[in-house]
Amino acid sequence: MKNRLVKAAGLHGLLIICVLIISLPVILALIISTQSEAQVFSYPPGLIPGRNMVHNYVTAWNSVNLGRMIFNSTFIAFGVIFGKVSMSLLAAFAFTHFEFKGKNLLFGLILVTLLLPVPIRIVALFDVIRSMRWIDTYAGLIIPFWASATSIFILIQRFKVVPSELIDASKMDGCHPMQYFFRVLLPLTRSTIGALVVINFIYIWNQYLWPLMATNSDDMRVVQIGIKMLMSTESSNNWGVIMAGVIITMIPPLLVFIVMQESFMKGFALQSEK
Amino acid sequence: MPYVLLVPTFLVLIVFLFYPAIETFRLSFFKIHPWTGAEKFAGFYNFIKIFKNPDYMDSFILSAIFALAVIIAGLFFSLLVAILLNTKLKGMRFYRSFLIWPYALSPAIAGALFRFLFNPANGVLCYFTGTRTWLTSEKTAIIVVIIAAVWKNLGYNIIFYLTALRNVPGACLESASIDGAGPVKKFIYVTFAFLSPTTFFLFIMNTIYAYFASFGLIDVLTEGGPAGSTRILIYHLYKDFFVHSKIGYAAAESLVLFTLVVGVTMLQFRTTGKKVHYQ
Amino acid sequence: MRKKKFAALIVAVALFLPTIMFGGGSVDVDESAEVSIEFWHAMSGARIELIQGIVDKFMEENPNIKVDVQYTGSYNDTLNKVKSAYKAGNAPDIFHSYEIGTLGLINSGIISPIDEIAEKFKREIPWDDFFTPVQSYYKYDGKHYSMPFNSSTPLIYYNKTFFEKAGLDPENPPKTFGEIREAALALKAAGYETPVTWNLHSWYFEQMICLQDEPFVNDKNGRSGTLPTEVVFNGPAGQKVLEWWVGMEQEGLFLDVGPGWSNHRAAFGSGEAAIIMSSSSDVNVLTAALAEKGWEMGTGYIPRPEGSKGGVAIGGGSLWMTNNHTPEEELATLKLLTYISEDEAQIAWHKGTGYFPVRKTAMDQLKAEGWFVENPNYLTAFNQLLDSPETLNTAGSLLGIFPEVRDMVQSAIQEMYAGKPVKEGLDEVAAKANASIAEWNDVIQ
Repeated sequence: MKNRLVKAAGLHGLLIICVLIISLPVILALIISTQSEAQVFSYPPGLIPGRNMVHNYVTAWNSVNLGRMIFNSTFIAFGVIFGKVSMSLLAAFAFTHFEFKGKNLLFGLILVTLLLPVPIRIVALFDVIRSMRWIDTYAGLIIPFWASATSIFILIQRFKVVPSELIDASKMDGCHPMQYFFRVLLPLTRSTIGALVVINFIYIWNQYLWPLMATNSDDMRVVQIGIKMLMSTESSNNWGVIMAGVIITMIPPLLVFIVMQESFMKGFALQSEK
Repeated sequence: MPYVLLVPTFLVLIVFLFYPAIETFRLSFFKIHPWTGAEKFAGFYNFIKIFKNPDYMDSFILSAIFALAVIIAGLFFSLLVAILLNTKLKGMRFYRSFLIWPYALSPAIAGALFRFLFNPANGVLCYFTGTRTWLTSEKTAIIVVIIAAVWKNLGYNIIFYLTALRNVPGACLESASIDGAGPVKKFIYVTFAFLSPTTFFLFIMNTIYAYFASFGLIDVLTEGGPAGSTRILIYHLYKDFFVHSKIGYAAAESLVLFTLVVGVTMLQFRTTGKKVHYQ
Repeated sequence: MRKKKFAALIVAVALFLPTIMFGGGSVDVDESAEVSIEFWHAMSGARIELIQGIVDKFMEENPNIKVDVQYTGSYNDTLNKVKSAYKAGNAPDIFHSYEIGTLGLINSGIISPIDEIAEKFKREIPWDDFFTPVQSYYKYDGKHYSMPFNSSTPLIYYNKTFFEKAGLDPENPPKTFGEIREAALALKAAGYETPVTWNLHSWYFEQMICLQDEPFVNDKNGRSGTLPTEVVFNGPAGQKVLEWWVGMEQEGLFLDVGPGWSNHRAAFGSGEAAIIMSSSSDVNVLTAALAEKGWEMGTGYIPRPEGSKGGVAIGGGSLWMTNNHTPEEELATLKLLTYISEDEAQIAWHKGTGYFPVRKTAMDQLKAEGWFVENPNYLTAFNQLLDSPETLNTAGSLLGIFPEVRDMVQSAIQEMYAGKPVKEGLDEVAAKANASIAEWNDVIQ
């Protein structure tokens, strides 16, 4: 009994230390977000929380209209998630449950796209979006992200470990592949989909370059552009306000993660489900 | 039937990924006016310039070292943390969230945080470690970048390792115990084997992260300095494209970088891919 | 019958008379027509509202003109957006660019020089009212290309309280390279470890060459009308600057805080540095930072080698007009640009940001208001500007690949901190820069 308690205490201790080390930068950001400009400019650096918290957070929110940006980023993120997950599910299904000509080639083509991140194709991509008249639209910010090798790859790994007995059983029942897809496969994949939601939300939430190029107007701005706006270049940086903005914009992805945690921890695996 | 299922994905891929990428690669054979886009055919001129440039070679080696450091440190620490998180303890949900949350930050913000922490004027970590030259010395700046990059991506690696750990079949571990194996041996011979697909996957994803996704972080943290000691290939490319507007030359750089990473990935598949143990 | 014909003639003349009297000369544009223009700028933070305020007032005075003003990211981001938008056919009417982008833009094929547009509509811009260095920067081949907007120069800021403690005269800031070094030694002896600093920025290097009345590039500092072909900053003038600058760093008098605009201000505000160089627009911020700690701040001209007689050039940015718009839009744009340069808007801009107002008349008004009595440190900056002789060097250097050269110079200085000899470092940069210039010239023609 005693042994177990000591072990548990030890583990708690270790975990807390880990949390502190890993969270150190964010904790500091929190502290700084409560300080005034003068407090930030001190040496040795002031680690005591200041009294400017409300002022900093309100300034950060109002000066760049963070509310609208958070809405935009969230809307775009879910738009991408919906399309991407659906299309990836279908594609992964095709690769794992069918044999067809050119399968390896098509799979290779998809993997290759992992190596074509936005900066490499942005100039030509802009031209494409422009000719489709999608500049300054949600479509231009959402649809180009609907195909993803990572999501397909992860889903393939998940599908691969579904026991073959299930497939045989459904075939014996005379199921059409799509019925199998919706009735059997999909429910089993819920947790993996949960993980994809988190990963993609964060990915879209953190986009800067593409939204910057593809939008011009005030109300289409996304969260990362807002943060850059708080960080001036030539004029003085009010780090307190910047950190307040950073903390605010960290909350939605964190929320998404916390909510989806249980769901995808339950067996988001590259191996078989027990 | 399968082709129908693949149509939506490939439609998007062709329009928004393949076409722009091929178009960019095509541009690498031209000299391009930064404003009008007018093209002058230049053959292999841009590529020759790349390979003749001594800075490029330095960047090449630096990127390889950086990627290796990020991968090894990243996987090592995230596995350790994942093992800790895999125990049955109250409040695990809380611990999980707070060990993974740096992943939710954008690379630019992570860069800004570390820049603030290590800045020579009043950085907290400069104060506590006694030296101010973390970011201003050519020898140590890259270390700060590696720490920041690993820190930021830790959550991603932890997520994958944790779920893989949870799926190591208890039966195998039990039979190992029965055979008399202690916890360390159990880990090395059983658990690690079952983690190999995840490790392999993370190896590749971290390679891609180190070669491509880190430029936002570097741009804010060191701007490629001091004296080019943190200027990895993608950052070089980013500057040439977006700041110096050397479109043709930058397009050639992206073709070269793309080829390089394809090569590295294929190498990983050929060598370690075989050692991966699937069920 | 005759009467009717006569009446018709009168009517005809009456109808045509206005056209005959007022029509000839300027382009035919309906000035009261509704027109909509776009203005993209790179000023973030509180400046966004400031600019919106100026634009709002303009729109009040010109109810038929609607201006859509956007913050479009950094200078670099803004330029990239403009490039893409122009190719797409919908570039903004006005965009903001940094000063070092000037030669590139002149040769871009996408802009209309502002003097040409003024000529087209027979409007006069009173350039003589402008501060000479401010308008001469953007003048090329006899005409002004863009409207100066946010201009600044570097300035020396020092901690008067610390000066007293070190036995230095707080009302007499050091003016030459030698004097700075001596002041630094005195401060160090008084316990301030590394008393001098400024951010790693090629701007200071350029300015201190300018102070020696030497050019940065050949071909009349890039202003001859043909494209410059090589850099000359690796000559004796440039070497002198860096030998002093890097020398102080090696001696432990100068603190290397890296690039970017926050660190050196932080060092000054926290008391680690007693003497810094920074933009003249920082006066208020830095005064406040020091005041928080109970210290007094002074300003001075930036230091020069003993005996140099040159002046400073301006930095900052200007507003450019793109050339693919209708005459109505062009006229509206011209009106907005002129409005922005007028004293009312400029004084508000100066008070809100610290940048120089573009016209000398604004300075007179500020003087009359007593502004410089309350803000003597601003007066230093203005005087430094007025005391700069008008030469091709103080007009500022023009180079197509300026952003790249700045990166190279900064990188080289870092190598010099690590031990590389100044002349060697500068010659290497010059070689690289010249190669790059040759490429750029080749592509741009």
